[in-house]
Amino acid sequence: MASFSWKRKVGEKVSKSVLQQFEAEAEKTEDSGPGQVEEAEDVDWLHVIKRRREVLLEDCAAKSKRLKEEGALLAEEGRHWEAIKKWDEAIQLTPDNPLLYEMKSQVLTILQEVFPAVKAAEMAVKFRPLWWEGWQTLGRAQLNLGEVDLAVRSFQVAIHLCPSERPLWQEDLAWALRLQKQHLATKEKTQQEEETKKQILNAPELEQDYDFESDEVLAACVAVAERQTRYEELKRSAVVVDSEGNVQNVHSGDGGSEDTAAPSKEKFVKARGL
Amino acid sequence: MSTQYSILFKQEHAHDDAIWTAAWGKSEADGSETIVTGSLDDMVKVWKWSDEKLELQWTLEGHQLGVVSVDISHNGAIAASSSLDAHIRLWDLDSGKQIKSMDAGPVDAWTVAFSPDSKYIATGSHLGKVNIFGVESGKKEYSLDTRGKFILSIAYSPDGKYLASGAIDGIINIFDIATGKLLHTLEGHAMPIRSLTFSPDSQLLVTASDDGYIKIYDVQHANLAGTLSGHGSWVLNVAFSPDDTHFVSSSSDKSVKIWDASSRACINTFFDHQDQVWSVKYNSTGSKIISAGDDRAIHIYDCPM
Repeated sequence: MASFSWKRKVGEKVSKSVLQQFEAEAEKTEDSGPGQVEEAEDVDWLHVIKRRREVLLEDCAAKSKRLKEEGALLAEEGRHWEAIKKWDEAIQLTPDNPLLYEMKSQVLTILQEVFPAVKAAEMAVKFRPLWWEGWQTLGRAQLNLGEVDLAVRSFQVAIHLCPSERPLWQEDLAWALRLQKQHLATKEKTQQEEETKKQILNAPELEQDYDFESDEVLAACVAVAERQTRYEELKRSAVVVDSEGNVQNVHSGDGGSEDTAAPSKEKFVKARGL
Repeated sequence: MSTQYSILFKQEHAHDDAIWTAAWGKSEADGSETIVTGSLDDMVKVWKWSDEKLELQWTLEGHQLGVVSVDISHNGAIAASSSLDAHIRLWDLDSGKQIKSMDAGPVDAWTVAFSPDSKYIATGSHLGKVNIFGVESGKKEYSLDTRGKFILSIAYSPDGKYLASGAIDGIINIFDIATGKLLHTLEGHAMPIRSLTFSPDSQLLVTASDDGYIKIYDVQHANLAGTLSGHGSWVLNVAFSPDDTHFVSSSSDKSVKIWDASSRACINTFFDHQDQVWSVKYNSTGSKIISAGDDRAIHIYDCPM
């Protein structure tokens, strides 16, 4: 209970009746709900905090700076998590310092903490939107998260702020654009694959009735087989973007480019299993 | 005619992303007023200004990686635009069709500016060269070398005699167009010069820099005539009024300021944008001002005449 410590401190100097009354009152305020208690506390705390903040204002900045430098040193030594802890402390003291967020984002990226890295970089550009390095860090973090389109945009903003920074063009933007291209090509291929697969499952040849004596059946079977081979061919190939940025479908795996006439090793389960 | 500065019109969400550039032109053929805007969303939009409101006329697609700069030819028929993918495109404003696409080579197109006779387009490059493209030919005709750094801003003097360029390191170069000779090199600012503009009589050059200052130079003698402060952050764009007595500036402090050229005092400040204001221009008579920026909005202001 709240009155426990009071009892000991007050000791014998206070008469028992006063003590009892005090205890009763303390209990009463506690019972009467948290709202009232908080209100009473607020008044006191407000004075204390107000005075403290004025004194602390300078100290916060100085302490934050020291923590920032400590963190930077730790990060350089490869003690990444410790660095982040220091910077988090610094952020508590100076929550609007973009440098802290930017450095934190870089180290989080190293640690593969991709989402927190993006979050931190977002704070950096929020507090200093004209700082191209902040945008660069944000773009790199977004790239790690797989958000290629957003990364391209961040790099564009960075370049617009500082177009003379060559690495922004040659490394960041070029790389992001290549990934974007690759992403697009992969998406197209997946779509193609799915369409072919759909056609295998619902082959148009199977919808019609056949005279089993005729060649029609044979032709239909060949068509279905060809389609399946094509699907397998697609599955075997991978999308690769070469250094010039040209998109290619490269066959991977064993004997991917065998001529399509060769019989498929897989059984025609899909075609027959209706 | 109004007697005081006021905001006349707001077009919210004019683009899907930040607007980086805007131009205001007047058609010689039918007298209609055209506004062209370029944005980070890769689009160039053509708007008609009539009956005190904006109407979207064309959305021009083709640019990649954000449109950095647009300009309108002096007869109001052609618009030029440049983007981060280093392409300069020419558009027919009547039909909304692309006339030409010029590949300026890697990183070699930033600000585009029509020459006063509208036969050429000047653009800066990363190696400090000013490349002049022919509007008819669609090819690079010649170049002027500043031997300096990345050129962010370009302006022709209205009399056609001079071309001024502003570089990322704060150096201003003024060329004599007839001889192609470098006349003056001014170390005006220590930070990037994102915009510069000549007065209509070609006597003064006004420069805007990331250092937050605006400077006025006497072109003939290359003297510094004044340094103006007032913006709280980078000055992103400046434009001179056709009345020869005022100019306007926009800044990343979200404000648009109008200055008196003779007294060098700020006579009005608009605080209507929510974000950085990248572009500001006068119309052909100086009765209106357009501004656009990161908040994707286009604002039109009324100016007393």
